[in-house]
Amino acid sequence: MDWNRIVREAFDGRLTPDADVIEELAQHAESGYEAARAEGIGKDEAERRVRELLQAWSTDPTMLTRRPRRPPAVVPPKASASGLAGFWGDLRYALQLMRRQWTHTLVVVLTMALGIGASTVLFSVVYGVLVRPVPWPDADRLVRLYETRQGSTRPMRFMTNVTFLAWADKPATIESIGGWSTSRMTLTGTTDAERVNVAEVTSELMPLLGARATVGQLFDVGPAGTLDQQQVVIDDRLWRERFGGRRDALGQVLRLDAASYRIVGVMAPSFGFPTRETRAWIPFVVKPGGISMFQAIARLRPGVTPAQAEAEANARGRAAPDPGLVVVAVFGSKGPVQMSVTPLVESMTGEVRPALLLLLVAAGLLLAAATANVASLQLARAMNRRREFAIRAALGAGGMRLARQLLVENALVGLVGGGAGLLLAAWLVRGLPSLLPSDFPRISDIAIDWRVAAFSIGLSLAASILFGLAPALHAGRIKLAPSLAEDGLAPVGGGTRTATARARLLLMAGQVAVAAVLLLGAAVLGRSFLALISADRGYDPSHVLTARLPLPDATYTPVRRAAALGRVLDHLKRVPGITAAAVSTGLPLLPGDTLAAFTMRSPRDGGTVQVHTSIRHVSPGYFAALRLRIRDGRGFTESDTAAARAVVVVNRVFARRYLGETPVGSRVPAGYKHDETEAEVVGIVDDVSNGAVTDPVAPELYRCSLQLSDGFDDDVPSLIVRTAGDPARLVPVLRSIIGEEDASVALESVMTMENRLATSLAKPRLYAILLGAFAVFALAIAGVGLFGVLSRIVSLRAREIGVRTALGATPADVVRLVLKQALAVTIGGMAVGLALSAALGRYVSKLLYGVTQYDPVSYGAVSIMLVLVVLVACIVPARRAARIDPARVLR
Amino acid sequence: MTTHLLARELKRGSTELLVLALLEEQPRHGYDIARLIDERSQGSIVYQVASLYPTLYRLENRNLIEGRWVEKAGQRRRRYYRLLPAGRKVLASQRSVWEGFFAGLDRVVHLRQA
Repeated sequence: MDWNRIVREAFDGRLTPDADVIEELAQHAESGYEAARAEGIGKDEAERRVRELLQAWSTDPTMLTRRPRRPPAVVPPKASASGLAGFWGDLRYALQLMRRQWTHTLVVVLTMALGIGASTVLFSVVYGVLVRPVPWPDADRLVRLYETRQGSTRPMRFMTNVTFLAWADKPATIESIGGWSTSRMTLTGTTDAERVNVAEVTSELMPLLGARATVGQLFDVGPAGTLDQQQVVIDDRLWRERFGGRRDALGQVLRLDAASYRIVGVMAPSFGFPTRETRAWIPFVVKPGGISMFQAIARLRPGVTPAQAEAEANARGRAAPDPGLVVVAVFGSKGPVQMSVTPLVESMTGEVRPALLLLLVAAGLLLAAATANVASLQLARAMNRRREFAIRAALGAGGMRLARQLLVENALVGLVGGGAGLLLAAWLVRGLPSLLPSDFPRISDIAIDWRVAAFSIGLSLAASILFGLAPALHAGRIKLAPSLAEDGLAPVGGGTRTATARARLLLMAGQVAVAAVLLLGAAVLGRSFLALISADRGYDPSHVLTARLPLPDATYTPVRRAAALGRVLDHLKRVPGITAAAVSTGLPLLPGDTLAAFTMRSPRDGGTVQVHTSIRHVSPGYFAALRLRIRDGRGFTESDTAAARAVVVVNRVFARRYLGETPVGSRVPAGYKHDETEAEVVGIVDDVSNGAVTDPVAPELYRCSLQLSDGFDDDVPSLIVRTAGDPARLVPVLRSIIGEEDASVALESVMTMENRLATSLAKPRLYAILLGAFAVFALAIAGVGLFGVLSRIVSLRAREIGVRTALGATPADVVRLVLKQALAVTIGGMAVGLALSAALGRYVSKLLYGVTQYDPVSYGAVSIMLVLVVLVACIVPARRAARIDPARVLR
Repeated sequence: MTTHLLARELKRGSTELLVLALLEEQPRHGYDIARLIDERSQGSIVYQVASLYPTLYRLENRNLIEGRWVEKAGQRRRRYYRLLPAGRKVLASQRSVWEGFFAGLDRVVHLRQA
């Protein structure tokens, strides 16, 4: 017997209790019936008893309601209250409502917190990195100087002594000019030897920055402008660690790379120029003659533009003595001097600027989606409160009065959400230094200060007024009679025909559009990142361990160094698991190539060709260790010694540009003894991306380190070890072998090649991950929002759906009805989003590699993903619609 | 009029007392409660079974007891009620009221003289 049905029928025509109560009563009836039967009572008598019970229950069904527990009702403020008192009343009422409807409040506050939090973090980063003034006085007049030659294709990263000296002599556009270069040096003395970052700086540099020593002084310049080269200024950390922060550190001697320097001053911890890791500054004198490269900065005179300074520098540089062919080696061109004068902040941050602005826009879009979602939620709530508003209006509250009430409520929600967002942002910003790549500029300038907080609060208020506006307008327009009369008995089709439902659908389409834009951005950045990882760089980074091995000139002559390196390599090659080992003067992804220029007879037309190339000294195992592809001829072997004939290997760009049809066997004037001798090209190696894969590959020439009769002259050679297994596991072996060779030497920058690659790609990876996270949030917001709107529409259209079902519509028809509405919103939003993405695409294109901003795969994948998410959001509302029982909704 | 009201109050009070007392021992479902009242009073408490569920829901609304659907293996789920701390207090105070009432009655009518 279906006891549930029997009990429900007993209530027929009267108020039916909840399904819960019906079930409980049915069980009681069943148990009573079965007990009676078990006692031997006849079927008819047992049924009579049950009927009696049902009769008794159904006489007063109102007694059979189990009300959910409910806090006391919230009383709205008086209609007449105005001014400050009215405001407090509104505020109290809003707070009570927030507490009462805490799930709604939680959803709204979390959505806002997410949007505000993301925007605040990005704003703090953009402000700290791109906008906040650098900590030096009149920093807007500080400019970075980069030099090149017309016709050069190399990126500009330094300035030469030639132009520097020419300009430094009584310049008109700048107050002063300073130069520096950085290096790592071995600090010895009171404690263990330590490798530290040292900057060599001209005596003008620190005064130019407006810096002062906190203890002692800056460099002591002699009366005739002479500079004592044996002085050093140390940073605050070194002072505290090595000298306990005592003033008597002044005058003491600091040993750097076995040379002695007298300490004259200590810099404040905030100085941090050129990097925060700089421990000491030693004098640097720019000398005339030859060509030397270093970094340079200048302070413009007041009112001078960078362009004016550029013009003066160009004129001075072009008038300077010509250093000769070496210019070609450096710049790859012998054209006239071309200076670039860039504001300091811009030069520090230019590289990350497009990405940061893009992410800021993305965070703004996320906030817009969050705001739209909250607006939609608030609108739905305003709909549910129509009766409240109508009654209050009937009791004398004007439209303005109700609108004010709603604005107060929304502003409160917005502020709470914004406060939560600010907290979230503060927490995230504190973690930023460990999340951002270590070479990210101005990390320490990123902070949540009053400006960022004001931005965040302002944004929350603006957003809350935006999402409060629609419900407030709605309240102002409420018509008394229909609102009171309707009371849930929506007319057929009411679900979409009301202005509110239309507004909510429009907001949803907007959210889908935002999700589409963000997803697409994340997709192309993600695919670009994958392309960067898998790009063919000409070498195989897997199973390679690399390190730098400082063998300083103070203790190693080049010959002694070459011998030590030979022993280390012999030792390494005997270690099981190591398949190849090599040393070289350079390593992909590490700066510091030797550049050379020379003229040679062109094998093609017999004329003279000017060659500029980078030169790398490598041991024979280099090609095998990095798995460079030998395209023609051979690599170096152990028999390519100083006694054998001189041989070199060149890359394909070199061969294509300077050599003839059969490059192997040609002779180049780049032999081993002072460049005068010739060497034979014995092999052509495939081009290697030594820097970013997007940089053009330059001509490259490899010399065999065994043929260097003068020894190995690079004091920090690179070690490359190819392993059969996990390269990281060989680190201790490597260290112990080096320790056996020379216990005073410490390996630097020990990294697998794959890690080196990953580090070099940290920024694109970060951008893709951040944009991906924003996109996922936006998608989640849109999905949940759509679910809410559809559920609401289904319940509003219940009667209509009931009528349709009663007239013969199948559940499939009903599901189709719901899906049609959802897909219309999605496709509309998606079309707008994809069109917007296409329009915005060019701003992303700078950040892309291997894909275009119109990548069809990304467009396709994003479209499919959006439709899938929308279908998932539809499942529950569609099922609910399909299950609507016409008998119930039409009663 | 007065007697009628008093009778109703007594009856309602007694039903609540019975339910609370039975739930003091252990959580029970509705049929169990009805069966136990019948069994323990050996039919002497004439008791309107129709008022059981309204009583349960009223007690629940007043946070004196709490009902929960419990599913046991192989059985249909049943709604079990358990006594809440507030219910325990009400039970104690009702007990003392009834005890006082019976003691008074006893002194006057000598209920237990036999």
